[in-house]
Amino acid sequence: MGETAMPHGQARTEPGHHTQMEHKRKPLWKKYLWGYLFLVPAIAIFVVFLWVPIFKGIFYSFFHIDFVKGNIFVGFDNYAKVLGNPDLLLSVRNTLYFMLLTLVIGFWVPIAASIAISELKLFQGFARIAAYLPFVVPGVVLYGMWRWMYDPVGPINALFGFFGAEPVSFISDSRFSMVSLVVMETWQQFGSAMLIYLAGVLSIPKDWYEAAEIDGADVWARIKYITLPSMRNLIILMLILQLIGTSQAYQSQLAMLDGGPNKATLTYALLTVKYAFNQLDYGAGTAMGILMFLVLSLLGILQFKMNREEY
Amino acid sequence: MKERGILSASDLRKPWNKAVYGFMVLCIAIMTFTMLYPIGMTMFNGLKSNQEINTFPPRFFPSEWHWGNFPKGWAYIDLPMFLKNTLLIFGGNLLVTILVLGMAAFSISRIRVPYHRAIYFFILMTLFIPASSYMIPNFVNLKELGLLNSYWAFWLPAGANAYFFLLIKNFFDGIHPEIFEAARIDGASEISSFLRIAIPLSVPIFATLAIFTFSTAWNDWFWPSLVMQTQDKYTLATAIYKYVINARSLDSSIKFSILFMVMVPPIFVFLVFQKFIMRSVSLSAVKG
Repeated sequence: MGETAMPHGQARTEPGHHTQMEHKRKPLWKKYLWGYLFLVPAIAIFVVFLWVPIFKGIFYSFFHIDFVKGNIFVGFDNYAKVLGNPDLLLSVRNTLYFMLLTLVIGFWVPIAASIAISELKLFQGFARIAAYLPFVVPGVVLYGMWRWMYDPVGPINALFGFFGAEPVSFISDSRFSMVSLVVMETWQQFGSAMLIYLAGVLSIPKDWYEAAEIDGADVWARIKYITLPSMRNLIILMLILQLIGTSQAYQSQLAMLDGGPNKATLTYALLTVKYAFNQLDYGAGTAMGILMFLVLSLLGILQFKMNREEY
Repeated sequence: MKERGILSASDLRKPWNKAVYGFMVLCIAIMTFTMLYPIGMTMFNGLKSNQEINTFPPRFFPSEWHWGNFPKGWAYIDLPMFLKNTLLIFGGNLLVTILVLGMAAFSISRIRVPYHRAIYFFILMTLFIPASSYMIPNFVNLKELGLLNSYWAFWLPAGANAYFFLLIKNFFDGIHPEIFEAARIDGASEISSFLRIAIPLSVPIFATLAIFTFSTAWNDWFWPSLVMQTQDKYTLATAIYKYVINARSLDSSIKFSILFMVMVPPIFVFLVFQKFIMRSVSLSAVKG
């Protein structure tokens, strides 16, 4: 069926695309015409919805964006405004604090949990499902749920009260607000990291442990010299992904506390969002995005260089 | 005897190891409880009276079962309309992803057009640019294109996902080329070998994408709240954020009943497809 239909179809569409492929020899077009046609939508969409915004961002950061009167060139004013904002330093500090907390509280949990769960003889599947379940809870439900969990008369304070501690207002006290957010996010997200680690743990050949045991290595030595080194690359990858992710965090800070109390959870990305969508100053917001990009790429280059020196 | 893990049977006969193993099991039990408790609490709070939620210390099970909270919650905001918007975005995004990225991946992986490496690079480069650095120009760009408050503002950019592209392309790479050669010899055009061979063979990877797309459409509340500007276009998550989480005068019991209803579909999808989803998660280790 296709045998007869195809050549006609190709012959008809060919002339229309002369201009696009003028630099190619004729047999090549015939061969690759459909291949290039298949690429056109994807390339168009990537250009219009990704590359254009990325490059326009550089351009916008030098303009005052006004949708009604048109954009006005303002030179480095946006950068000056952003860098002169006393909240900027605070937001950078808060972001670094948040990143540090996610490492201290959240990073080791999925690694430990994956090793522990891999050793379970019974209910391993159940433990896996339970650990992953919070990850499918939608963000907005998570916020409602944990506002109540952290409530001065909520379950966590009930538990504290049981041990005789004073009630703590976790999220409205600026000393605990960031920690509380990190605990909440760890609760939600560690399951997915745990599954990734678990796949790594389970792929380690069992006879390595057998051999180590025969050589007299105890359980800790087996974990230290076999399990963890086998997961090294995965751990580094997850570390990098986590740092990239947490350096851009703003959603739970915005939804739970709007950057408060007393700007204790105002992260860098949240400040960017507030510039753009609270003050409608898109130019300044874009400038902050560009600064973020520069810092992250600098770190990326630095890391790449350091990696190179290792070899 | 099952296959051994880090521990062997003889390890567990030593009392010290037994104690540590017992402690580990206890930790996992506590973890499991911690994971399930807030979810169960949300569910049971939706069934309590408003006074009971506000009594201290909180009880897990309701003393009286107030099933009437659910119809009240259902009527509080127009859930069916927000659900329809969410599903529209999900369906359109998935269709665009499969068609646009599928065709591109087919061209690069199977047809191997000249310069395919350059095009591949052009697409993958976008993975290395942090999303938050172009979020605001992205919004301004959509506004200048006149796409705000329209579903196209979600459907079209859904095709600009380099990570999904990578997943599809890797999957196509794994299909035996002989199948396509046989089709070509039988006279199939590129279009029909894409539609009638590549797509049907790639159902597993499209199912993975469907789950990712579903979870984004269901969970994302911030971006839709910016792009959609009238209430009748809000997605479920955006509506919950605007009208439920931040509502002052709403009874807690009704609030929890709504939260529970919103949480059930993703949990249900997860429990039904859990084997498949867990495999997809391990696959997503490359996600950037």
